[in-house]
Amino acid sequence: MILLDLLLMFVVAYTFGFLYYGLYRNITARFQRRFGPPVYQSFVDSIKFFLKKDSTSHGWMFYLAPIIMMSGAVMTLFFIPFFNNGDSFKGLSEYGNLFLVLYLLVLGPLGNALGVGAGGNPFGAMGITRGLTRLFAMEMPFYISLIAIMVLSGSADIATIASSQTTFNAFAYPLLFIGALFSFIGMMGQSPFDIVGAPVEVYSGPASEFSGKFLALLMSQSAIFTFAKLVLMVNLFLGGASGFLELVVKTFVLFLFVISFGSLYGRFKTPQSVDFLLKVPTAISVVGLILATWHMS
Amino acid sequence: MILDLTTLGLTNIVLSLKETYLADFFAMLITFSFMIVTFSMKKYELSKGFYALLVLLTSSLYLIVYAQDYLLFFIGWEVMSISTYFLLSFSLSKEALHKYILFAMGSALSLFVAILILYSANHSFLYVDAKESFEKLSDMASIVFVALMLFAIFIKIGTIGFHYWLVDAYEESHDIFTPFLSAVLSKMGIYALIILVSYVVNPAYLLAVIGVITSIIATFKAIDEDSIKRVLAYSSIAQLGYIVTVLGVADGMGGALYHSLIHTAVKLLLFINVAGIIYVTGKSKFSELGGLIYKTPQSFVLLLIGIITLAGMPPLGGFSSKFMIYSSLLDSKHLLILSAVMFSSASAFLYIYKLIYGIYLGHPTNKRLESTKEVSLSFLVPQYILAIVVIVLGSFPAMIIPYFNKILSELHLTQIPYENMATLITPFAKFNGLVVMGAFYAIFIIILLVFSRINSKAKDVKNRFDIAYCGEVPNQSTHLHYGYSMGKELKRVGFIGVILKNSVKYFYDFIAKQTLLLSEVVRKIYSGDLSLNFNIAIIFLIILLMGVLK
Repeated sequence: MILLDLLLMFVVAYTFGFLYYGLYRNITARFQRRFGPPVYQSFVDSIKFFLKKDSTSHGWMFYLAPIIMMSGAVMTLFFIPFFNNGDSFKGLSEYGNLFLVLYLLVLGPLGNALGVGAGGNPFGAMGITRGLTRLFAMEMPFYISLIAIMVLSGSADIATIASSQTTFNAFAYPLLFIGALFSFIGMMGQSPFDIVGAPVEVYSGPASEFSGKFLALLMSQSAIFTFAKLVLMVNLFLGGASGFLELVVKTFVLFLFVISFGSLYGRFKTPQSVDFLLKVPTAISVVGLILATWHMS
Repeated sequence: MILDLTTLGLTNIVLSLKETYLADFFAMLITFSFMIVTFSMKKYELSKGFYALLVLLTSSLYLIVYAQDYLLFFIGWEVMSISTYFLLSFSLSKEALHKYILFAMGSALSLFVAILILYSANHSFLYVDAKESFEKLSDMASIVFVALMLFAIFIKIGTIGFHYWLVDAYEESHDIFTPFLSAVLSKMGIYALIILVSYVVNPAYLLAVIGVITSIIATFKAIDEDSIKRVLAYSSIAQLGYIVTVLGVADGMGGALYHSLIHTAVKLLLFINVAGIIYVTGKSKFSELGGLIYKTPQSFVLLLIGIITLAGMPPLGGFSSKFMIYSSLLDSKHLLILSAVMFSSASAFLYIYKLIYGIYLGHPTNKRLESTKEVSLSFLVPQYILAIVVIVLGSFPAMIIPYFNKILSELHLTQIPYENMATLITPFAKFNGLVVMGAFYAIFIIILLVFSRINSKAKDVKNRFDIAYCGEVPNQSTHLHYGYSMGKELKRVGFIGVILKNSVKYFYDFIAKQTLLLSEVVRKIYSGDLSLNFNIAIIFLIILLMGVLK
């Protein structure tokens, strides 16, 4: 039963992940006054990459890296419940908690970092360095907001946090939401915090050495991971969802907001983004935390 | 065992040695580390004196943990400091050795004064009387007591500000003695802090703040270092910072004990791994290493297990202890402290990745590295044992909880609830280590199988210069080991730059300069002439006579 549940979660995340990715390409295209590719284009691309005849590898660690990254994404997905009630699409969430999910979010990228290092491409290592340098600053406001949310809900269990909201946390504690949203934009790889992948510079970023089926796996990974992160955010701040329609609407609204934001702003350099994230969003989150938990102490 | 020294003519001095669960726990850490370290020692040609001193050191550690009064504790502490000095003198430079002995003596002296202050109140050295004695002290005396006690302990732990000796000592000490230093000797500071916190007084919030500042600063300092052992030394400071923090909050003892255990295991693993690498390559800097992954694959995997634990990532044991620490901070509503702890632990990813990248990944920085052989079994076997320990603790995180509960009930603290061996429960959440571990491996293996069956080949590139490099072809002279200097960009970020540019060295240099000036003045008066000495002796004799005649 649980295996079927997990399989369905995987299928849903895979489908919606690629759908959202296709929509992302369309919507950003419209922002730049052009028409993007068809919605299914990314999916087709990934299948095509899977079927490429040869792909380059640099030894076993390099080979395992995309697999670790995919495992990290799938693990994250399985420990986040889709709905705030009922027994379906709960995955393994009752065995884990929010702290675990926070660590699982970085498990995949770190596994990939090992592969990139083993590949020996200095541009890949450059992307990893940028990513890790940005990581802690990016996590800071997110962590602060989540700590406040955990204390306010009296639990670190994601389903409990989702179902315990009478008004959405996003509206009850707007400062916490705004602080976390900055981090979330970074976690989704959107401007102004997208220096890691740096989409327009060809030879940079962690993926530079991966080709063929490795790249296809990375694309699938990114689709699943995107959906998992959206569901997590919806659970924490938007009261979770009680059915598929609600889940899709809420995740899509959040997604739309994030990519619109990303299309409008330029990119920070690494030290700039660390500096900014440690100043503005962190301050917002700290103020939010103090205001929200003042009455408790 | 209680020794009343009244029979020897010393009234009011009662000494006590007793086996408690807490003492047993730390004694177990000492024994385990001693065995692990001695296993690797046979690779080195060490003098007999080294072994003798190591045994002396270890026995002094047992005295420290089994003592039930502050006098025996102090004797153990002093023997520990001195024998460590001689052990360090085998390899340390003169400057580092001077630093060590100055700080160690400062620590011992302030500990001694603190103990005497406590003794003055109630005429008892015993831990059981310590609380009563402390309450009898005047306000001023109790503040001085706490300050001196913390000073002594913080020097041993290497809390930021007092870590000046520690990093040099770790870097220059014998490769196989460093694991022991980090895994055990620093734990004695933690043990002393646990005794202080549970038997005398808990300077609660002070500890939490000092601990968290320590871990943040040490983490950023670690990022900036080029020497492997210095990075690990700073990492050790940061990890102990978490323990200090969590000891300062209610119900934090469980997390502190758990993290002590994990830290002992992981630091032994990492330092022995590094010792092995230094043994086979003769290099100890990131900028001189690189690309060893396919030469020493076993060491690579073992270091990987070590850094995953150090980072506190699931599914290994590191997460269990981090989870306990976070939960107790959350439960006691230290929210900003918790944020700072999580911040520091996220920053640690940078130096943790540097650790594995700088040694094993990227490209070899010189040709000689390409003929490196795998390190020998006497380095690998201890590492395998430690790796098994952290893997088992990751799958069964509550395995050790029944024993911790015995310690906690002995110290009259709240018990940690647990359901079964695999499930850790805290007031806020629970997590099942076995499910996490199982799920990860199941997913990993399924994806691996599916991925390797996909009908397209992965062609292994044998030539390491065959990489995507902006359309150019790199060669031997191209500098490709990019990234061992990762984190340099952080210097340009406001407050991190401040941390990285400043050092406590300037403060101690200032102190040293002032001391020299002062001693020059003293030297002018006390010039060392025989006539002056004679005059001083005469004056002293007269004063003495006057005293006697009265």
